[in-house]
Amino acid sequence: MKLKKLALAATLASFIVGASASFAQTTLRIFTGGQQRPDVMRKIADEYEKRTPGVKIAVEVGGATSEAQQQYLNTVLTSKDSALDVVLIDVIRPAQWAAAGWAEPLDSYLGADKAKVMSQYMKAYSDANTVNGKVISLPYFADSQFLYYRKDLLAKYKRAVPKTWDELMETSQIIMQGEKNPNLRGFETAGAPIEGTVCTFLVPLWGEGSDMTKNGKLNLDTPEARQPFQLLGRLKQAGVMSPNVGEIVTDRIRINMQAGNLIFAQTWGYVWNRAQNDADSKVKGNIGVTTLPSSKTGKSATCIGGWQLAVSAFSKNKAEAVKFVRYLSSPEVSKQQAIAASHLPVFPSVYKDKEVLAANPWFEFAGPIVETAKSRPVSPRYQEVSDAIRSNMNAYLSGTKTTDVALADMKKRLEPVFK
Amino acid sequence: MKQSKELSERTLGWLLLAPVGILLALIVLYPVAKLLISSFHTIRLTEPWLGEPFVGFANYVRAWEDERFWGALWNTILYIVITVPGSLALGLGLAMLANLPFKRKWPVRLALLLPWALPLVFAGLIFRWFFDFKLGFVNDFVSRFGFDPLPWLTDPILAKIAICITIIWKSSSFMALVLLAGLQSIPKSLYEAAEVDGAGKWLQFKEITLPMLMPAIFVALIFRTITAIQTFDIPYAMTGGGPGDSTETLAMYIHKNTLDFLDFGYGSALAAIMFIVSIIATSGYLRYTQRSAGRD
Amino acid sequence: MNLATMKTKSMVMLAGLIVVVNGFFPAIWILFTSLKTESELLQFPITYIPRDPTMVNYYQAFTEKPLHLFILNSVIVAGASTIITVFVAALAAYALTRLKLPKRNLIMSCLLAVSMFPLISLIVPLFQVMRELGLLNNYLSLILPYTVLSLPVCTLVMASFFQDISPDLEAAAMVDGCTRVQALFKIVMPLAAPGVFTAAILAFVNAWDEFLLALTFLSRESMRTLSVGITLYQGEFAFPWPLISAALIVAIVPVCILIAIFQERVVGGLTAGGVKG
Repeated sequence: MKLKKLALAATLASFIVGASASFAQTTLRIFTGGQQRPDVMRKIADEYEKRTPGVKIAVEVGGATSEAQQQYLNTVLTSKDSALDVVLIDVIRPAQWAAAGWAEPLDSYLGADKAKVMSQYMKAYSDANTVNGKVISLPYFADSQFLYYRKDLLAKYKRAVPKTWDELMETSQIIMQGEKNPNLRGFETAGAPIEGTVCTFLVPLWGEGSDMTKNGKLNLDTPEARQPFQLLGRLKQAGVMSPNVGEIVTDRIRINMQAGNLIFAQTWGYVWNRAQNDADSKVKGNIGVTTLPSSKTGKSATCIGGWQLAVSAFSKNKAEAVKFVRYLSSPEVSKQQAIAASHLPVFPSVYKDKEVLAANPWFEFAGPIVETAKSRPVSPRYQEVSDAIRSNMNAYLSGTKTTDVALADMKKRLEPVFK
Repeated sequence: MKQSKELSERTLGWLLLAPVGILLALIVLYPVAKLLISSFHTIRLTEPWLGEPFVGFANYVRAWEDERFWGALWNTILYIVITVPGSLALGLGLAMLANLPFKRKWPVRLALLLPWALPLVFAGLIFRWFFDFKLGFVNDFVSRFGFDPLPWLTDPILAKIAICITIIWKSSSFMALVLLAGLQSIPKSLYEAAEVDGAGKWLQFKEITLPMLMPAIFVALIFRTITAIQTFDIPYAMTGGGPGDSTETLAMYIHKNTLDFLDFGYGSALAAIMFIVSIIATSGYLRYTQRSAGRD
Repeated sequence: MNLATMKTKSMVMLAGLIVVVNGFFPAIWILFTSLKTESELLQFPITYIPRDPTMVNYYQAFTEKPLHLFILNSVIVAGASTIITVFVAALAAYALTRLKLPKRNLIMSCLLAVSMFPLISLIVPLFQVMRELGLLNNYLSLILPYTVLSLPVCTLVMASFFQDISPDLEAAAMVDGCTRVQALFKIVMPLAAPGVFTAAILAFVNAWDEFLLALTFLSRESMRTLSVGITLYQGEFAFPWPLISAALIVAIVPVCILIAIFQERVVGGLTAGGVKG
């Protein structure tokens, strides 16, 4: 009898094993950039494969920059190619992906869970991934711009951390005069015609309590819209900002900060770890992060960054892909990424996690700043919006256009987009 | 008898051209046809609900009215007018120098090859570094001589100068390679004979080198002109079109419209216009080859 | 040694120096940069010669990415397309210069027109062609377009050389029983060696440099070619020049040496035997 049972169990077991072996193996292809730590993604995928028999994950690594990745993706998706199932996309892209029909809307897969799932994320991220009420993608990790400052220099001159742009300028001038170091500048932000320069324009505008659009219409005929130009013009005039701001790209800011040549800098989250850990950093232990300044009456806001997970509309394994995406966009994976890759979490709860804070003590300050992050103008034609802003900002900062001309040209290019 | 020989020669000719024809049909014909058709439609991938309606010449009219297109076109023409003769002069000079009787030929050959072998994007990035306001060696030199550093890449005129220098440096290598090959195939006996006749170096250059080199010069010029019209990587890497759009070229604007703005209709129309510009710019050379062909 | 030859000699040396400096200075910059640490590179005032030369960037270039695979892929793609290009272009150039074809100039112009369309606008339909043919992530997806890209220039370069070769030589060979095609490969091509060699270099470097198609058609990391592979060392924001310089040196130097040797031995020999009289 016992033997019979055993035999039965054995056949059953072999049946199950056989079944799972003959069960069609699904391979999901996920596309990620070279800088979004594909190695960490691979580890997470290994764990997922262990938990989900029958699913294999292939991690495909694209170009290094957001731009190179999108060039590849544009071609593949324009051709409605089914080669990719899940794609990691920049936070500026969900609207474009939704409009182009490249991303499978996730609402029906989330079903009744939708409200619950979306409410776990920081509000900025649930907003950024929802386009016209539809969930287009789920956040993978966060990023935003911060105001970096030199704690040691502020302490030496007994200055408080600036809350407004005026304070920042005043403090910079005092310290620069005191230090008498010709290489030391007060403030730096991106000014070359690159994506970061869009934030150079938007952050002071938001700091005025204004925005580029109002109810979907262009809103640049306001006195506030002139402020970003005036402010940066003044900073450059006073020598607080370097005269070559028109060629400053993102990483140059980090380099200058790390070399001890800057008092304040507006840039992304990756700088903190480099400034703290790089062997050649001259500012170890002397860097602080805080919210970006605003005007006296306005409210501080920062530019949102980070990477989102979208399911390709041309995927042949959408249901499995959505399951994988939900796993990747979970607090558990967020924590894993925060520890292994210092990626900023998208869940408020993970910022308070002890292990996460042990690995990244600065997340304690970063969390509240990321909460103030705002989305850059949402439009399916975002690339045109970005181009209009960055090229005119760059022209202004290089001194080839005045405020009036730059603003008028910017409006002229934006009008057809927001008609 | 004679006719049949002509015919077989003709057949052989077509046979020899067949591989080229097949490759072109496979790789070029379909994409180009697609491009031309797209240029008469509105195709905006960012707004697929617009459909892909036929719009006639609307995209071309739009280009006519687009200030930025004209700016890009003028910049492109400026780069052609400056860098094509520039790289011909430098390339011819380098080729003539490299053709001198060196004991060791390879360092010279290598020097001719290096700029050509350096991928375009990296050439652009390296020169961007050279012209960097603070860390570039150009400004290091400028300030060593007691002048103020110049904003090479953020001033519209200086940026154009910097870009032209880079393009000339990079493309003179291609010129020199083609011309050096031309120089090498000029029989030495011609110069020896001229020497006997007492002709000076300049006369030898004018009477032997230049005429013998003409076919090579024209080939080099045609392709240099075509690549100059398509100037993309170097300004893209050095200034990204800045400050503002002041260094943007036609190819950069096409790239932007097609792969960035995903406006395939307009991008295709611009590409077709670029094709027409190329035809106009090279028609002079083609007429020359036609005339020389008529001579033999 | 008299004064005149001394003078000529030093002039020749000077000429060589100019050519070498013009060609080498960015390469030297890359070489020096590859031996620096990032902090030295970013130092102000700038240094020229590395103070503390380090090989760590070379080590890192190979360990961080499969640089050897990138090189191998590029060699395969560029090598294959060069061979095909030179062969096909030689046939075409011969037909265009030696055989009495009607509408010769029209054919030439059509060939030229191919290179007048910007690649960027052709990439999406070309991608579709490659997918239809099932060639994505296959070396052929690059070999074929690169061949086409280089065909016009190579055909014209060779044609311009074939034109200068006297038809009598061929005629003599054909009297000896050669066919026309044999005459092309046995008589015309060796005589036009500098032109053939130039065409080969042009085709090779065109393929070696190309970025956009390589980024799109060979998307698997192990299939990447060098021009794309090297950009993978860069970050979303950061551009680690010393590391990238090391990778560039590794990429450029062997090719240059190969070409230099090839040129000296093979082409030098061919021309020495051929065009003498």
